[in-house]
Amino acid sequence: MAQAVTTPITQNILRDGLILPRTPDPAAMVIFGASGDLTARKLMPALYNLALNRYLPSGFSVIGVADTAISEDEFRSRVADAVQKFSRTQPVDRAVWQSLAEGISYVRMPFDDQDGYGRLAAELDRLDRERGTNGNRVFYLATAPQFFSVIIDRLGSSGIAKTGEGWKRVVIEKPFGNDLKSAQALNHAIHSVFTEQQIFRIDHYLGKETVQNVLVFRFANGIFEPIWNRRYVDHVQITVAEDIGIERRGKYYETSGALRDIFQNHLMQLLSIAAMEAPPNFDADSVRDEKVKVLKSIHPIDVAKDVVRGQYGPGWVGGQQVPGYRQELNVSPTSNTETFVAVRLKIDNWRWADTPFYLRTGKRLPSRASEIAIQFKNPPHLPFAKTAVEELTPNWLVMRIQPHEGASLKIAAKIPGPVMRLRTVNMDFFYGSSFMVESPDAYERLVLDCMLGDATLFAREDEVERAWGLVDRIEAGWALQPPPFPNYAAGSWGPPEADALIEQDGRRWRRP
Amino acid sequence: MTQNHKELTARTFVDVHAIQEELDQVRWGLHADGGGSEAAQHAAAEARASVCNLIAVVSNEPELGAISSVLDRLSVTNPSRTLILLAQHTRAADKLEAEVSAQERTESGHRVTTERVLLHAHGEPARHLASLAAPLLIPDLPVILWWPGRPEFDSPLFNDLCELADRLIVDTDEGFDETDLTRLLGVARRKTARASIGDLNWARLIAWRHTAAQFFDMPGMLARLAHIHGVSIFHGSDGSTAQARLLGGWVRSRMATVGIDVPLEFRPDDSHEHGVCRFLIYTGGDEGLARFSLKRLRGNRLLTQIRLGDQDLSPRTVRLESRPAEELLGFELTLPGHDVLFEQALDAALR
Repeated sequence: MAQAVTTPITQNILRDGLILPRTPDPAAMVIFGASGDLTARKLMPALYNLALNRYLPSGFSVIGVADTAISEDEFRSRVADAVQKFSRTQPVDRAVWQSLAEGISYVRMPFDDQDGYGRLAAELDRLDRERGTNGNRVFYLATAPQFFSVIIDRLGSSGIAKTGEGWKRVVIEKPFGNDLKSAQALNHAIHSVFTEQQIFRIDHYLGKETVQNVLVFRFANGIFEPIWNRRYVDHVQITVAEDIGIERRGKYYETSGALRDIFQNHLMQLLSIAAMEAPPNFDADSVRDEKVKVLKSIHPIDVAKDVVRGQYGPGWVGGQQVPGYRQELNVSPTSNTETFVAVRLKIDNWRWADTPFYLRTGKRLPSRASEIAIQFKNPPHLPFAKTAVEELTPNWLVMRIQPHEGASLKIAAKIPGPVMRLRTVNMDFFYGSSFMVESPDAYERLVLDCMLGDATLFAREDEVERAWGLVDRIEAGWALQPPPFPNYAAGSWGPPEADALIEQDGRRWRRP
Repeated sequence: MTQNHKELTARTFVDVHAIQEELDQVRWGLHADGGGSEAAQHAAAEARASVCNLIAVVSNEPELGAISSVLDRLSVTNPSRTLILLAQHTRAADKLEAEVSAQERTESGHRVTTERVLLHAHGEPARHLASLAAPLLIPDLPVILWWPGRPEFDSPLFNDLCELADRLIVDTDEGFDETDLTRLLGVARRKTARASIGDLNWARLIAWRHTAAQFFDMPGMLARLAHIHGVSIFHGSDGSTAQARLLGGWVRSRMATVGIDVPLEFRPDDSHEHGVCRFLIYTGGDEGLARFSLKRLRGNRLLTQIRLGDQDLSPRTVRLESRPAEELLGFELTLPGHDVLFEQALDAALR
């Protein structure tokens, strides 16, 4: 027989040395909008892959909530098909899926139906009893934004969101509001039911391995941080370029535009992590405090001088002729929605004073690329003959988010030979070819983090509101005069004014 | 995924300086399509991505083919300078040959270049290949010694290479008996020619360890771990027990950190031929009896079950990865320094 314990067990000692995340508590995830695209394409495949890789706890359960007239079996069959189609790992392991599917149920109800929440509560109680979910709940709002407030309200009034036994968390998809006022109203509505610690505002960009790698690159390597400032950096370019158009999202995009769709969230996140100070540790508030400080430090924008908007007309992308934005499905033929934004920002702090940040995003650009590119200042003095170095380009450090995730450093090197001739070479680090593990989908990481209660990679209330404040300022400037749309051809790098924006500072956009 | 593979192999050398020169030549040669053109120079000036020096020791030609294939696949994710030592000291007539090659692969548009030196020796030179390997290593990169079969623990070659290496990687599933395991542990603990140890067989146990640890992440289960009173491990019917011993040693060593000695029971199981088949942890105490079980299912899966008293909780099926050698090796290459947990598990397995 085993001996008596001489040291109390306060932590799971079998976990020592395992380079794997802690297992979340058994929980039920309630997905509102369970018959929608996001659930099919992202959430269920993410949950399946988490289960496959042993990250989900025993007893983990999913309740799909939607107003679609299907039976529970039909719902299971639908999500099984979705996993079959969209899982990043193939083929789907039937036994693992079956094991996960045993915990999947469906509640049909309109999102504002108080009686429906009674049935949902009964189903959650059943899971607590039969599958040991112990009152732990994740409410995932994968619905259109107009349902966010009503769902939150009903979760509160029905008592389902009450704390007590187990934890309760709510995940909210973007867009989180459509301006500062609506974001504040939504925050207010959510806070009437949940505390900030229970709220997980998702921006899937932050779940990407390569975005997190920017933080590691900056703060785990001693050689970069000392030169990551106004003294050595000439300027920073942040690009989120898409070669696709709006596909079938015309209805949504007409109310959104590039400013709300990408700038307010993805570009602001990339700006924050590129410019932030080192946090004292990697916990949620330490990281988010530093990100918010960056947003607070943005110098007030002069919209007429610092912002360019564009909308694509017909053109050619990747050898294919494509229509202009106004010819897309569900788009007004006189639409003034922007599909391109370029912004020049300055950050008023000691690290970045007078160092411009150029941000751009657009649809139907020549290629897909997301990157943070830092141009360093030229050496103060070149001891070589002018002819030897006239074509020398400055040092660039580029952190590519997608595609070809990795980092690239452009440096000068001597061409072998008796004459001193220099040329520029790239040192490339490709994330994908340097690690054997296939990167998980961003949703896998974020869903797991939420279940573990780690909000580091989720946006905080003040972060969201700061970003909306900037967007509102730009919108207000744009409202003063109508745009000359369309003003760039599909397949080009945006309107000429975007080039002028950076060229007037004596700089040029990179070709990503 | 696009893939392209270009290889350049040089003639035979025995002089270390000639080998070093040829390494530079073959690497240059991969990019020499344009002769001395600026484009070729630019390509050749591209940074070399190398994560380590990897020395693999094989004893016969058929094994050489298999090991070379593993290293080929490994090089895509772990570009390294690789030295393969085909050491045949039992063959008469001294012989020492070297073959230098460089490979360039393009995977999804990313180019990976690796260099390989095959050192082939018979007779006495085969015992002293470490002296030729040492000057061929890239400075300041860790040296990994991969010994795919059962090491010759007493051979000068093994000890010289351990002296050179930062890490020794073996596969205890290659018929290691208790004596071999004891000697392996000795390598990690000796004062000279000491290397940290990695074991592909230990890497295969990650899923078992992870899933077993998850039992006690569940609310209320940690207290039961303090009342563990036994572990049963069922292994395949072919009689190889190294993996089962390591798994048992792992539980025993972890529990020893809190002063609990765990009795281990090993039993053969006809349901599988090889490897760990079932892993049962028994607990008692005030919470009552409980059994935590993992069972290997056909098709690379694990079934996890918890029984509390006479009540079964929701079972769960998860994947039990069957990783090829290059993935296990790649995983071992990412581990820094001594794998203390492995050494403690090995030690506990032998007690």
